[in-house]
Amino acid sequence: MNFSETLKLAISSITAHKLRSFLTLLGMIIGMTAFMLILSLLLGFNGYVNEKVAGIGSNAFTVQRFNFDDFKDSDTIAAAQRRNKELSFDELDFIKRGAQMIEHIGARSGGVGRSIRVGNNSIQNVRISGVEPVIATIDKIEIEQGRFFSDTENNTAARVAFVGADIAKNLFPQGGALGSELKISGIPYRIIGIQVAKGTVFGQPQDNFIQLPIKTFGANFGGLRWNRAPNFAVTAKEGVKMEDAVDEVRTLLRIKRKLGPDEKDNFGIITPDAISGMIGSMTAVFSIVLLLVPGIALVVGAIVIMNIMLVAVTERTKEIGIRKSLGARQADILRQFLFESGLLSAIGGFIGLFIAYTAGYIITLYVFPTSIPWYAAVLAIGVSGGVGILAGLFPAWKAAALDPIEALRAD
Amino acid sequence: MANSHTGTAMVKEDSLILMKNIWKTYQMGVEELHALRDVSFHVEKGDYLAIIGPSGSGKSTLMNLIGCLDSPTKGTYLINGHLVSEMTDDELARIRNKEIGFVFQTFNLLSRATALHNVELPLIYAGIRAGERHERAKAALDAVELGDRTLHRPNELSGGQRQRVAIARALINNPSILLADEPTGALDSKTSVEIMALFEKLHADGNTIIVVTHEHEVAERAHRIITIRDGQIENDERIK
Repeated sequence: MNFSETLKLAISSITAHKLRSFLTLLGMIIGMTAFMLILSLLLGFNGYVNEKVAGIGSNAFTVQRFNFDDFKDSDTIAAAQRRNKELSFDELDFIKRGAQMIEHIGARSGGVGRSIRVGNNSIQNVRISGVEPVIATIDKIEIEQGRFFSDTENNTAARVAFVGADIAKNLFPQGGALGSELKISGIPYRIIGIQVAKGTVFGQPQDNFIQLPIKTFGANFGGLRWNRAPNFAVTAKEGVKMEDAVDEVRTLLRIKRKLGPDEKDNFGIITPDAISGMIGSMTAVFSIVLLLVPGIALVVGAIVIMNIMLVAVTERTKEIGIRKSLGARQADILRQFLFESGLLSAIGGFIGLFIAYTAGYIITLYVFPTSIPWYAAVLAIGVSGGVGILAGLFPAWKAAALDPIEALRAD
Repeated sequence: MANSHTGTAMVKEDSLILMKNIWKTYQMGVEELHALRDVSFHVEKGDYLAIIGPSGSGKSTLMNLIGCLDSPTKGTYLINGHLVSEMTDDELARIRNKEIGFVFQTFNLLSRATALHNVELPLIYAGIRAGERHERAKAALDAVELGDRTLHRPNELSGGQRQRVAIARALINNPSILLADEPTGALDSKTSVEIMALFEKLHADGNTIIVVTHEHEVAERAHRIITIRDGQIENDERIK
């Protein structure tokens, strides 16, 4: 008995009891819907994190005072605070001169928060930081209006500001932000550029910042020390792997800091991979638990299928006897029932996938990005079919092992 | 088994069916129940044989063995040269498919399938392609005068029509034997006569027929009658 005959038989058995087949599948459908929906949310979340937070796809990495590992507990934080020194412009120049594999390197200060007021309009919690002009290139800043500041403006500590879209919109609701002045701690700055609006990431607005030339910032905010100390943003040259560029920068900084071969780095280098890796390790347990629940629903769905297949075998004992008397081998009967349970379950998986896909589409439209990659869809159908075959194994074996004489005697 | 061959010296080795010293024993708790005791006979190609006996005589057991639904406890059974008594379940399935055409008292048609599909079943298990299957099944239904009922389901057919579908199914794979178990048991007397007439026609066409029955009127249509009693052949006579 060949594949297409077995398939036809399975389809006719399933369609012969439509309501029962549907009810049998309900568990599978619900399980698969929940599983795929949660999976799509998790994958969407990861994609979102990678894109927005970790900056995956950008080839920039950051050299800073502390490493991720330093934040393990209070002891390591204290040790790192004693050991790790703030980065300096000397070190920036040393790296810039010595490095072969990097395209750009620029300093970016830590920030301070301030409330800003212009006339009757004010905006809270504005993040103010100083950056070198090259940061605009490294960050691939998109400019809505005006320009970023120049090297000359940085070197002369000019009082110019590049601002986020919310600053322009909230402080100058009538427009005309570009070229206007705004005062921070009593010192006036001229707005020379406005960034394209970025929206929010996890509810955090991305558009209420003011960037000043780093020299200006250092001069007017009490020096580039403590939480205002600089870190370096670095991009690798085209064709150079990021880890090679990272190694080069690390080596140069270790030379500059005269670290012996046995000494640990007293600075940190953070790559986008490291960020997403850290977030990934935090969300992994969470993901497993979230997927476990619909996983249990799938198991329950499989048990329902096994149960109904056992009923089907009992119901069709006579049919099995007839088929055996006409020359069906054990393998034919086994395949018939395995196909039926596999197909039944795969249909459930497909319906679940379809519902999850539709729900995911709606969620993406209104709430949150989700994604079901093609391999997950193929896997879903495969897994549900496989689960069905597994669930059908025992009933099918029972059917195949029936004694033809006994089976023919059944009603 | 080996020392009893002398008792069956008259058996011809090229017989269609050859049973030598067949025993079938069931274990009922500690007691052994011998359903068949040392049964030997042979059937030539083209014969029309009735096996008759009261219920509990062992005739159903014998029919199951002839039909390769079961294997003997002891003894040798050859059908068309195949040594059936030594076969595995799958080999027996193959013999049932190729060599045996069953006709049952209760027809044993698949109720969900059309007459055509029912007749096709043995060809499906023989691995015949769909196109050829349809043609052969249609021809077989034509031969039993049901050419206009191919797409009817069993519950849309009369008892006699159902039995004719079953006969068409039994003959579809050109088996060596048509094996009928109480073929008229579920039919009224008029339809029974029709079915028995069909059997005679099939015999005249060269088919080998074995009918298992407890009705003398049915048995007397055959050319040879074997009477079973207490698991043994009581009488074996040729009447035509």
